[in-house]
Amino acid sequence: MRTRTCLLGLAFVSPALALLFAFFLMPVVLTTVFAFTNMSTSTGITGGSHVITGNLLRDLGNAGVDDDIVAALSEGSFSVTPETLAAAAEAGVEPRFLGEIESSLMGQSFEDARSFESALKALPSRPTRIRDIKLATEPFERSILNTRYSSRAAMETAIASMVPDAPVDTVSAIAEASYTGWRWIDGGNFQTLLDRPETIRIVLNTVFYVAATLAFNVFVGLFLAITTFYLPKTGAGFFSVLWLLPRITPVVLYAVMWKWFTWDNGFLYVIAEQLGLPAFNYMKGSVPTAWATIILVNGFVGASFGMILFSGALRAIPVQQLWASEVDGASRWQQIRRIILPQLRWPILFVTSYQTLSLLSSYEQIWLTTNGGPGSTTTVWALEAFNTALNNYTGNLEYGMGAAMALILVAVGLILSILYLRMFRFDELVNKPRIEF
Amino acid sequence: MQVTLKNFTKTFDDTTVIDSMNLAVNDGEMLALLGPSGCGKSTTLFAICGIHRINGGQILFGDRDVSDVPSQKRNVGVVFQNYALYPHLTVFENIAFPLSVRGDSKPDIEREVRAIAALTHIEELLARRPAQLSGGQQQRVALARALVRKPDVLLLDEPLANLDAKLRLEMRSEIRRIQLETGITAILVTHDQVEAMSMCDRIAIMNKGEILQIATPTDMYRAPVNKFVAGFLGNPPIVMLEGRTSGDGRFLVKEGTSLPLPARLAGMPGDTPLSLGVRPEHFGAAGANRVEGTISFVEPQGRETLFDVTLDDGVVLRSIQPARDDVVFGQKVVWPLDAEKLLAFDVSGRAV
Repeated sequence: MRTRTCLLGLAFVSPALALLFAFFLMPVVLTTVFAFTNMSTSTGITGGSHVITGNLLRDLGNAGVDDDIVAALSEGSFSVTPETLAAAAEAGVEPRFLGEIESSLMGQSFEDARSFESALKALPSRPTRIRDIKLATEPFERSILNTRYSSRAAMETAIASMVPDAPVDTVSAIAEASYTGWRWIDGGNFQTLLDRPETIRIVLNTVFYVAATLAFNVFVGLFLAITTFYLPKTGAGFFSVLWLLPRITPVVLYAVMWKWFTWDNGFLYVIAEQLGLPAFNYMKGSVPTAWATIILVNGFVGASFGMILFSGALRAIPVQQLWASEVDGASRWQQIRRIILPQLRWPILFVTSYQTLSLLSSYEQIWLTTNGGPGSTTTVWALEAFNTALNNYTGNLEYGMGAAMALILVAVGLILSILYLRMFRFDELVNKPRIEF
Repeated sequence: MQVTLKNFTKTFDDTTVIDSMNLAVNDGEMLALLGPSGCGKSTTLFAICGIHRINGGQILFGDRDVSDVPSQKRNVGVVFQNYALYPHLTVFENIAFPLSVRGDSKPDIEREVRAIAALTHIEELLARRPAQLSGGQQQRVALARALVRKPDVLLLDEPLANLDAKLRLEMRSEIRRIQLETGITAILVTHDQVEAMSMCDRIAIMNKGEILQIATPTDMYRAPVNKFVAGFLGNPPIVMLEGRTSGDGRFLVKEGTSLPLPARLAGMPGDTPLSLGVRPEHFGAAGANRVEGTISFVEPQGRETLFDVTLDDGVVLRSIQPARDDVVFGQKVVWPLDAEKLLAFDVSGRAV
């Protein structure tokens, strides 16, 4: 009976567990996995083959591989053999021309394309267009360069055939380096981040962005909540709705409105011009104004959130307490500081911790407004991770590096949450009744 | 400090709650504002302490007109019904609050708080928070906070309503003791006639925003100015009989029974419509007149027993007597009625 009820319970929670696993746990697990690879657009996320490219050869040369080996690997030769003839036939070279090549050049080798081309030009039924001659040379090229080998063993064989006298470990190292798929690189991504000079810049940007926006959120939220609390009811309702607008407006539309507001010939621009103040694109034209823009853009969204929570908490304070403090002689300011604010500790903690975490991982508004500019002066960690993993303008999306950056963000978020919970003795706050009658 | 209200008027939006009320509370006196809920007694209290702005008239503390003085500067102590203690502060900090917002020095605050805590018997609770106190203890803390800065007036808004019956009794005498010891002028708002009568020097009874009578509890009980006051005071309540005078010193209840009138009303012309009030203690104890009826309800209350006696024509009189079990339900009784103590009211409800 007991087992049956247990199983029944499990059956009931299993959809929730499955969803939890799929949508909460898996992303973190996958991010962690990706973070320790060098996955990118060029490696793909499935697997790869072995190719030696010109770039790779240059890297090998730089890495200290013997110049002769590098030269040998980069050399291509053109040779007329039964295999190359068959390849040419398959590539669609004209059969009569091919027959002439077979009869007159069979068994010969040419050092470079030029000499092979001139030999071909000597043949009677050569194509009239130079381009076709060039195309016809290609199948005869015997080179390891840019040739795909599906396995590492095949690559090693090919290298060995090109440079028979190369040491085995060099061959194996080159074959290893020629792999195009993704690889486990342990902490390579993190090491790269540590070594990059711009990392510290981005970290400082992020800290500044979060701290400044958070301060704006909490203080403006508190200010609005308290002022509307003391306003007559009808006015307060109007102001509450007004301050909610940034939150209600779709993000993209909200960003566009800020563009109109701050861009060249925008609202601020025109006003500043009229007043004889410096008028320029405030959003992207200077570092201080760019910071001001993104802090305000995010700040107003968060301030309305804080305001709603704080207003609710304010209304939960029994009005008699406020009356009592007034007859006890407390001025408005003393009432706010000594009676109201201490009782808003819990919502302030909540807004602070919640907003810290959401600001740490938010980049949409920055992306839509300054996009991290001018230069990368307003680039924050989340935006950089997004750009690295999903929005790289060079076209090579570095999933592995992006995941590593995201993982760091997750770790920082976790540590901060634990700190907040400890610092504000969260459980105590939640367990005890906050308001006494 | 004497507190005087002159033509005090209070309106909320378009509703006039209190229209030109006059009231004088003597120095060192404890006065009850007694009335049913919605009668304006709390409104009056909040106007005196400045939480509500008055719409007309004057409020004087002694000779000082405080009508336009904000509550912070009135120097009043208020105990609210729900005590309104600050939940995030300790008992000490709660009591110290009025002093510390005034900017008193640390040692002064310490001394004053200790003194008032001793007066209210809460010395051992100073380190606790309000959530860790019982209702009675919270009440004492609220009282201490209201008294700590030696206010001119102490205002108590239904201070006992949130306590259980036993604590209510205890706090009733405690509040009175503290008021007498400090000699402070106090105003108690309550809807409970027992509280008002037991704690206060005088009672101002209110209904619909009007003070009907101001008198000592005994005087008010004995000689209520009108039917409302007579009905509001007394537990178990007075029985009102509607009828007419006979012209020969008797009173004819509508249903037919004839009861004697007190001697002072014997000369009233006949056929005058009257209401006759019979308090339960004036029936069944002593008196020259005999009334016969059947016991229709018995309610033992321990020390006393309450009886309903139905007369032949259906009129019900109530009687309270020292506990007795020799009378049972359905029994015929002939009990005395003390005619001289009966209360009579004319058609408009005024006492005659």
